[in-house]
Amino acid sequence: MSTSSKTFVVAGKEIVEDDDYITLVDGVGPIPRDIYKYVKSDPTGDLPRYSVHIVIQHLLIFVTFIVLSGTGLPLYFSDLSWAQYLITLFGGIDLAREIHKVAAFTMMFASAYHIVTIVGGTSRKLLKGEFDYRRTIIPRLKDLSDFFQDIKYFMGFAPYRPKMEKFMYKQKAHYLAILWGSFVLMAAGSALLFPDVVARLFPDTVTKILPTGIVDEVAFPSFFQSLARLMHADEAVMALIVIAFWHWLNVHLVPGRFPLQWAFLNGKITREHQLEEHFLEYLRNLQEIPEEREYMRKLLKEKGFEISQKVTVEDIPRIL
Amino acid sequence: MRSIKTIQAACFCFGLVFMVLSVGLPAEAADKENCLMCHRYRFVGRIDENGKRHNYHVDEKSYSGSVHRNVPCRDCHTYITKIPHDPVTEEVNCANICHITPPFSQEKFSHQKIIDIYNKSAHGIKPEDSDEAKKAKPYCKYCHLNEKYTRVSEELIAYEETLRRCLNCHQEKGVTQAYIHMTHRLRKKTTRSPQEIVQLCAKCHQDLELMKKLKVSEKGLTAVETYNRTLHGKAVALGSHETADCVSCHASSVIHDIYKKDNPESTVYKDNLNKTCHHCHSETNNWFVKIGVHPSTKHDENPVIQLMSIGLRLALYGAVLSLVGLMLFETYGRRKDGIKFLLRHGTSWRGKSKRRPK
Repeated sequence: MSTSSKTFVVAGKEIVEDDDYITLVDGVGPIPRDIYKYVKSDPTGDLPRYSVHIVIQHLLIFVTFIVLSGTGLPLYFSDLSWAQYLITLFGGIDLAREIHKVAAFTMMFASAYHIVTIVGGTSRKLLKGEFDYRRTIIPRLKDLSDFFQDIKYFMGFAPYRPKMEKFMYKQKAHYLAILWGSFVLMAAGSALLFPDVVARLFPDTVTKILPTGIVDEVAFPSFFQSLARLMHADEAVMALIVIAFWHWLNVHLVPGRFPLQWAFLNGKITREHQLEEHFLEYLRNLQEIPEEREYMRKLLKEKGFEISQKVTVEDIPRIL
Repeated sequence: MRSIKTIQAACFCFGLVFMVLSVGLPAEAADKENCLMCHRYRFVGRIDENGKRHNYHVDEKSYSGSVHRNVPCRDCHTYITKIPHDPVTEEVNCANICHITPPFSQEKFSHQKIIDIYNKSAHGIKPEDSDEAKKAKPYCKYCHLNEKYTRVSEELIAYEETLRRCLNCHQEKGVTQAYIHMTHRLRKKTTRSPQEIVQLCAKCHQDLELMKKLKVSEKGLTAVETYNRTLHGKAVALGSHETADCVSCHASSVIHDIYKKDNPESTVYKDNLNKTCHHCHSETNNWFVKIGVHPSTKHDENPVIQLMSIGLRLALYGAVLSLVGLMLFETYGRRKDGIKFLLRHGTSWRGKSKRRPK
């Protein structure tokens, strides 16, 4: 990133900015980084973000997550007074355990569905030659620098937020955490549900070969069961707390998203949100959606954003 | 005409009342010797030498609904030989032979067999026991309270349909009772709910002072506590009827044969564990039975589990604090740059940026 300063005419004024400020898009015009302050957005979303498959998967996970928490938490906190009331909501512990299993299998189905969607979509893009790993959730080094620049912006040391791709650092970290969490919860949950199957992984013959003392000392199945008990419960409580105290607030309650971000229902993102946090994805949107190009071209003209005569086109960084 | 109608109505009402009353009449209890002549009175009793009040009332209705409804009083209270009888000093002996012949059997009924099994078990009083142990060990009535002549809930059994064919040959009264009795016993291992079983056993086994006096093992001391930590214990605490309680593992279908785990007779003896766990868990092997049913409260002694636990806790606090912190920080920064809370048609960036005065 170069730090050299250049002069631009923006909104009729000549201003000095570092050369990251303006992005020139052919056929649209010079887009300033803070254009999101001037655009008009529909609260229910303007630009496509998630396919219908992702929305369905999210809803499935969303519903099963709540059911799993409701039926699982009372078991973990069985000695607390509210556990009994919560379990009664699900028709008693014996029914609640069945509901927990059904919900767990539904969630696993949703996860499998997600994997199929991701693998299918990726291979289709690969075949068409459209695949670009920068548009995916795969973490990159850029995410780290984005994070630091964002921190600078929040502290007031940097003028603008970094230009980020479809998935920013927060979302990538959250997705990785979910991958790990789901794996742990599914593995530990299965170990709790099928202790006999897990024990079969250690065949009887091993017990017979080893001297009794060692088997008692090592006690693998006992160890694994204790581990599964610990991991399933603690991981689930962590997931619940993160979802309840961060994810929901971060997605629906922060300024500019309140009272509701519609993306989880219709898969759409608002224009100002896309420009603010996913600027590079917006540039791709400009390429893919002619209406959006038209809108942005008109807006830039209306607001008077144009390139000063003093700069040549070569001076302006081209992203696309 | 009118008077006839009135009489008809009166008869109808009277008949209805009579029918309702006769339905509610208690079944006749086995009181051939008419002990209830005195014991039916609600305040029959005495004040003993210490000034303690005793009530000897027997509620006929409750008694006729109890398990012992067919047993005449003196079959258990054998020491009563004359009327009016002397003050009672003896306890009832459940091993008595009563004058009831069970269906399909020639010998008179007695609890002797189960008492023999019980006396052999860990709870039976042995000659080598200390005085404290002898005193602490529960006898029949300690667990089988027979409180208010504990009513047997037989209405839950849908026997009418199954029984219809039996009635082709058998007398209704006898075969119905026998059938209900057997199906009732078959339905569940115990008549008590798992919660009641855990509560009953915990009454003594949770009493640490008593257990220490009886010199039980380290594991036995914490048995109730450690059980309550497991999924079995938690599910039972929340009202499960499917999960294992104490006797599910510690006794066979005889219920009374509870032994210490180093006794080869015991269901939890290391060679019997496979069979015992198999009652619920379809696949068991020698690894499976090593899974802790009473996991030590000090299972955190295992360094790997301990590290995992600490790691997960740190991850929890770290994740929540850093994410919420980032969210607040982000909101602070964006608010300063002019974003407003409410998302409307148009833009949320309605405010003026206070960050870079130009």
